[in-house]
Amino acid sequence: MGPARSLSKVKKQRTTLTLPSDSLTKAKNIARARGVNLSTVISEALSEGLRIHEVTKRSEEVLNSYRKAFSGFTEVELALLDGVVLEPSPRR
Amino acid sequence: MIDPASGPFLFDTSAESWLARTKHSELLTWVGAYLSHHPFHISAITVLERTRGYSTLWRRAQEESRESIEASRIAYLSALGPVWPLNGAIAVVAGEIMSLLPDPPTPPRRSHHLAESHQERLARWRFDGLIAATALVARMPLIHNNAADFEAVRSAIERTPERFPDLGPLELIRCASLA
Repeated sequence: MGPARSLSKVKKQRTTLTLPSDSLTKAKNIARARGVNLSTVISEALSEGLRIHEVTKRSEEVLNSYRKAFSGFTEVELALLDGVVLEPSPRR
Repeated sequence: MIDPASGPFLFDTSAESWLARTKHSELLTWVGAYLSHHPFHISAITVLERTRGYSTLWRRAQEESRESIEASRIAYLSALGPVWPLNGAIAVVAGEIMSLLPDPPTPPRRSHHLAESHQERLARWRFDGLIAATALVARMPLIHNNAADFEAVRSAIERTPERFPDLGPLELIRCASLA
């Protein structure tokens, strides 16, 4: 199922937006070329933008969690977190 | 530079933590770009090694330090992406690797007056074999920070491809060469 078709099944709401003229012109050109209406093109672009926003947010959350997971440890403690167990050497 | 979109990749235990701690701006940009396309794939062995580490630190720590160690452990677990479980195929491939290379190619680690025991070194070497086997079975390049050990595995597999049918070479990418 393509994006245009899947969009036709979701609940819709009418609204008024103020958009940059050049973006609107490009969207109209895309709609004309694909034989779909302007709402479809703008809905798809909005969905993709929101998806990228969510992915970026998740990516930042993961990086922040990773930083927290490995901060504040000594080199020996970090080695232990990597599976390297260092113990005091036996006296020779 | 490795295209971040060309993943997903499997991250070895030390590679995962090294990339999480890097301060190199190019690598940080690479990690951010990678995460916008794919999650960090890791082996269940990495979760085992990491969890053992946090738990050991927690047990050794004074009461007042335990809360922050536990917070680090929870932060790590909350960041986890896909974890590849050990299965029959991975066990078969890892068994071949361990038979080909029964002994670690590098000596136990040392740091000042501390040293890794031979028993611990052997266990870690076998864990590396399981991680390499996971990368082969998952058909993912392995991002690593341990060239001496994983290159030994890659070379051994190349010398005996008949023992690894339909699995292809072990593709290795060093952390430092990502960006």
